[in-house]
Amino acid sequence: MSTAVVMSDQSRMTEVLAEVAIMLLEYGAESRLIEQIPVRIGSALGCDRVDMALIPSAVTLSTRIAGQSATTTRRTRAQSLNMGVVHDILQLCIHLERHPAHIDDIEQQLRTIKPRYYPQWVLVPVIGLACAAFSHLHGADWPGFMIAFLAAAVGMWVRTALAKRRYPALISFAITAFVSTSIASLALLPQLSRTPNLVISASVLLLVPGFPFVNAFLDAFKGYLSMGWGRWLEACLLTLMTSLGIILASRLLNIHVW
Amino acid sequence: MEIGHWHWDQAIIDALLAALPAAGFAMIFNVPRQALKFCALGGALTYSFRAFLMQGFDVSIGLATFVAATLMGILGVFWSRRHWMPRPVYTVPAIIPMIPGTYAYETMITLVSMSEHGASDELVARFLTNGVHTLSILFAITFGLAIPSLHYFRRRHPVI
Repeated sequence: MSTAVVMSDQSRMTEVLAEVAIMLLEYGAESRLIEQIPVRIGSALGCDRVDMALIPSAVTLSTRIAGQSATTTRRTRAQSLNMGVVHDILQLCIHLERHPAHIDDIEQQLRTIKPRYYPQWVLVPVIGLACAAFSHLHGADWPGFMIAFLAAAVGMWVRTALAKRRYPALISFAITAFVSTSIASLALLPQLSRTPNLVISASVLLLVPGFPFVNAFLDAFKGYLSMGWGRWLEACLLTLMTSLGIILASRLLNIHVW
Repeated sequence: MEIGHWHWDQAIIDALLAALPAAGFAMIFNVPRQALKFCALGGALTYSFRAFLMQGFDVSIGLATFVAATLMGILGVFWSRRHWMPRPVYTVPAIIPMIPGTYAYETMITLVSMSEHGASDELVARFLTNGVHTLSILFAITFGLAIPSLHYFRRRHPVI
């Protein structure tokens, strides 16, 4: 009887650790962190070892306690980047290392971690300003600054609206790039801006997949080569889709900027 | 004060402008609210330090980016220890103003143009120039950011 209880505790522990790993993977942590945090939580809970196999679409995790091993596999669900969740999980990990808790409490605490998002009415003007700032840093004039603000803000509105309706990122990036480029081409109207090229190129910078690009390299440097390739492909595809949106808008409006 | 092509008044405006994308992209990455001001500060610092090296001392864009990113990586270690944050929360938004986005798009757009109009010398040259620029700047950024963790990695697991 007692062995059965121990076994079920271990498999519950394995489930929790796999859930932690899959949340880190879905919300965009780098691979070193995805591997480290379940290992740290596992050793805080008394596992002899925790081992993990990581691919871009799934996690396989094994715990070993007193010679008994339990393994589980989890598949990723598509989620957007969320550093808030990664931060909450790291806090939970540090907390458990200092005050080891029972598996019931950990399951409970993990369930309270929910992604928090910035509201759309904040994101739209802030990202508009960000791309306008890019245009000015690259040398655009003040009328150009205003046009870049408008184009990027509308683009961000389109992007968040499509994300809310659960469109895949590849499609929403292409549509957003099309909308932003079309609006930014206002800068080509006579007497408006002397630097239309800079305005049009800055207005789509909200779509640069910075996190996947950086994570791809960081993973590769730290020895997670297959994860690095996966993220690299993801970033390149997003860039390609954005470029296709830009090209479509340029052909329809017959502009030759890029 | 002026050093080479670097002017302090322009530098301040650029630093303020660079803080905007850093904070804005931090919001897209949904960083916790208390980290936003550090992301903005980090973005301003790294961008202006890179501009200072490039304009003041004629350092190439790759080397200047690498030095600025290394600085941000080290700063990230201190900030993350103080606030119990994973380091990418600070470091990735802070290097966003240096990400070679325009080069990356130009690379892809010339690639698509080549498939439409054939690979003329001009298109091939543009593709290679922009592609190499994108890769080298990205490499400089990420290698700079990775230096602190490669250092800790070395201490925990000796190579031999």
